[in-house]
Amino acid sequence: MAFAGLLALLGLTVAASRLRIGPWGVALAIAIASAKAGLVMAFFMQLRRRGALVTVFALGGVLWLGILFALAFADYATR
Amino acid sequence: MSETPQVVQMQFEDAEQQSEAAQLGMWTFLASEALFFGGIFLGYAAMRALHPDAFAEASGSLDVVLGTLNTALLLLSSLFMALADLAVHHGSKRRQIVLLGLVAALGLAFLGIKLYEYHHEWTLGNVPVLQWSREGARDDGAMLFYVLYFAMTGLHAIHMIVGIGAMFVVIFMIHFGKAGSHRPLPVEMLALYWHFVDIVWIFLFPMLYLIGGGSG
Repeated sequence: MAFAGLLALLGLTVAASRLRIGPWGVALAIAIASAKAGLVMAFFMQLRRRGALVTVFALGGVLWLGILFALAFADYATR
Repeated sequence: MSETPQVVQMQFEDAEQQSEAAQLGMWTFLASEALFFGGIFLGYAAMRALHPDAFAEASGSLDVVLGTLNTALLLLSSLFMALADLAVHHGSKRRQIVLLGLVAALGLAFLGIKLYEYHHEWTLGNVPVLQWSREGARDDGAMLFYVLYFAMTGLHAIHMIVGIGAMFVVIFMIHFGKAGSHRPLPVEMLALYWHFVDIVWIFLFPMLYLIGGGSG
């Protein structure tokens, strides 16, 4: 079930890459990849089952990654 | 459905607390790994923003078909890994070993394809320093792209090799009764690690292969 969804997203990723929508292409690719990662985390890694504390730890990692990218690009964007 | 009674280490109150402690530890490790890969992803993102055309052109030499196949293989391996995780709680020893073996086989197939791709880049003269045949300044985007390509996929491949090695270790552990329904944590933790390596590739694939229409 979740796997079917993942494959569908994969197909979507490749198809979407062929649309030449310029700078939005990157955002779209990342959005689709994030959706796939979310599915893997929720179902395969059982975050849905395991309870709040484990989810906090997992999302904490994502949050820190976000801080890394946000601050780095804030620098580039304001040069 | 009754579960096999599990071995609980003496510092834990019950199996559930023991399992949660292991998961928290594993997720913390995975968070550190995410930042580890995150650093090189950031480098890639910044360089791509600075050299969009060179990156798009260089990305064209990567085979999207093989990349897509590899992505599908890893997603499938994650499915089998999740099933193995399930089998550790509700399945037979044989089922656990077969599923883990399938995960390892898919992982090896992925690495085989990767090796073929590396060879292809070698014949095209796209390997920086070792086999480079493009003209142009050293600071142009193409060499940057390939350095990042080999570094990122190489780092990922090393993680896969470690994961496959651990897979065989766990298979032996189950075979000799050191892990399994009575002691599911090795399988559960390996599963989390393997899914993480899959997620890294899920981001690597579009970033490297699908820039600018994915030609080639």
